[in-house]
Amino acid sequence: MAMIEVRGLTKTFGEVAVLKGIDLTLERGSVLVIIGPSGSGKSTLLRCLNVLETPSSGTIAIGNAGIAFAGGTRVRQADVLQLRRQSGMVFQAYHLFPHMTALQNVMEGQITSLRRPKEEARERAMRLLAKVGLETRADSYPHQLSGGQQQRVGIARAMSIDPQLLLFDEPTSALDPELVREVLKVIRELAQEGRTMIVVTHEMKFAREVADRIILIDEGVIVEEGPPEQLFGSPKQERTRQFLSRIMGD
Amino acid sequence: MSDHSERLWQIFTDSFLPLLHAGVAFTVPLTLISFVLGLLLALVTALVRLSDIPVLSWIARFYVWIIRGTPLIVQLFIIFYGLPSLGILINAFPAAVIGFTLSVGAYGSEIIRAAIISIPRGQWEAAYSLGQTRLQALRRIILPQAARVSVPPLSNSFISLVKDTSLAATVTVIELFAKGQQIVAATYEPMLIYCEVALIYLILCTVLAVLQRRLERYYERFDVR
Repeated sequence: MAMIEVRGLTKTFGEVAVLKGIDLTLERGSVLVIIGPSGSGKSTLLRCLNVLETPSSGTIAIGNAGIAFAGGTRVRQADVLQLRRQSGMVFQAYHLFPHMTALQNVMEGQITSLRRPKEEARERAMRLLAKVGLETRADSYPHQLSGGQQQRVGIARAMSIDPQLLLFDEPTSALDPELVREVLKVIRELAQEGRTMIVVTHEMKFAREVADRIILIDEGVIVEEGPPEQLFGSPKQERTRQFLSRIMGD
Repeated sequence: MSDHSERLWQIFTDSFLPLLHAGVAFTVPLTLISFVLGLLLALVTALVRLSDIPVLSWIARFYVWIIRGTPLIVQLFIIFYGLPSLGILINAFPAAVIGFTLSVGAYGSEIIRAAIISIPRGQWEAAYSLGQTRLQALRRIILPQAARVSVPPLSNSFISLVKDTSLAATVTVIELFAKGQQIVAATYEPMLIYCEVALIYLILCTVLAVLQRRLERYYERFDVR
C-alpha cells in the first residue's frame, strides 16, 4: 500500500507557478531523493508535504491523513495539523529553538502536540539523542553545538513526534564540508532501518547510495524518475543528462 | 559649622524620610502597577495588530496613535479633571494608574510587536512542523525569544516611567515630587529639597538598572540569532 500519494499538486506564488502538477507515490520503508537545479521547486514540494506552504491545488495523502486543496477554499486547521503530524521536517538551517537545550528541543513536540507526559517524553528524547550520537550533549544549548551537531539534534527533533515520514530539506547545505559526513551517516542509518524518507539534496554520491528512487525536478515538473542506477547511469531525458553533467562536471 | 549650613543639614535630614516614604508608598507602587498592567495591555495590543483581524487591529492602531500623539500630562488631565464632567469620577491614584497604563501599553506594544517580528520565520515553521498550533508556537517558541529581545527597550520604558510618575503630582497624588513641593512650601529651600528629590529618584532608578542587568544576564544563557 502506498504511504504517500500526491496528485496534481500545484503551487503558485502570485503570478509565478513553482509547482505545475506533481504526482508522487511512495511505499512504506522506501527512500525517495529529489534532485534538481536551484529554484526548480524541490524545496517547495517538500514544504507543501509538511503544509508549511499551502498548495494551490491537488491532493496530498500521507498515512491516513489527507487534504484536497483547491485555490481559494479555506483548509480546516484541524486537517492541516493532522497532515503535518504525519511527517517530521529537517530544515536546511536547522531552526533549533535557541532558548531550549538539545533535550528540550526534542521534548517540545512530544509535550505540546502529542501531549505525552514529561517523563515519557524525556526518556524518548534521550533515546533519540543517543541514536544521533548526542546523549552527552543533552543539556547544551544550540549555540554551544557545532553545525553538524545542531543538525543531528534537528533530526532527533523531527523524529520525536513519531512521524510516518521524514522530510529532509537540503540537510547538509549549510554545513562546513568536514561536518557533512556525520549528518549523512545518521541519515544513512535511518534509511537502513527502513524509515520512509524524502530527501532533497545536492550530494549526488549520497543520493545514489541511499535512494530507492530518484526524481529530477526542473521548472516545477518531474522531468525523470527512476532507480538511481538508471537515472545516473543511463538517463532517458536530455535535461537529466544536462543537469548531471553540470553538477558532476566540477 | 555655620548656623546656615547647620539649618540646611537639619532640613535635609528631616525631609529625607518623608520624601523616601512618599517614594516607597506612592512612586514605586504607581510605577509597578502601571508597568505590569501596561505590559499586559501592550502584549494584547501587539498581538491584535499582528493578527490582522480587521476591526480589532484598527482599534489597536487608533489607540496607539492617540496615546503617542498627545502629551501624557494632557491625558492625565482629561482622565482626572475632564471625565467628571461626563459623570465619571475617578480618584487621583487610580486615575494616574489608568493614565500611565495606557501610555506604557501604547509604547510597549510597538516594542513587543517589533520583537515578535524580529524572530526568524524558521522558528514558526519549526514549531508548526512539530504539529504545534499557532497559539502554542507563539507561547512556547516565539514569545520567550521576543521577551529576550525586548528586555533592553522595555527597561528603558520602565525607568522613564519611574520619572514620569512625577506628573501624578499634577493630579493631586502626593508622590515623591509632590511631597517635595510641600516641603519647599514650608521651608523655602527649593535648591536643597529638589536636589534631594532628584537624589531619591536617582537611587530608585539605579536599583532598577541593577535589576535590569540581572535580567539581561539571565537571558544571555542562550543566543538569539
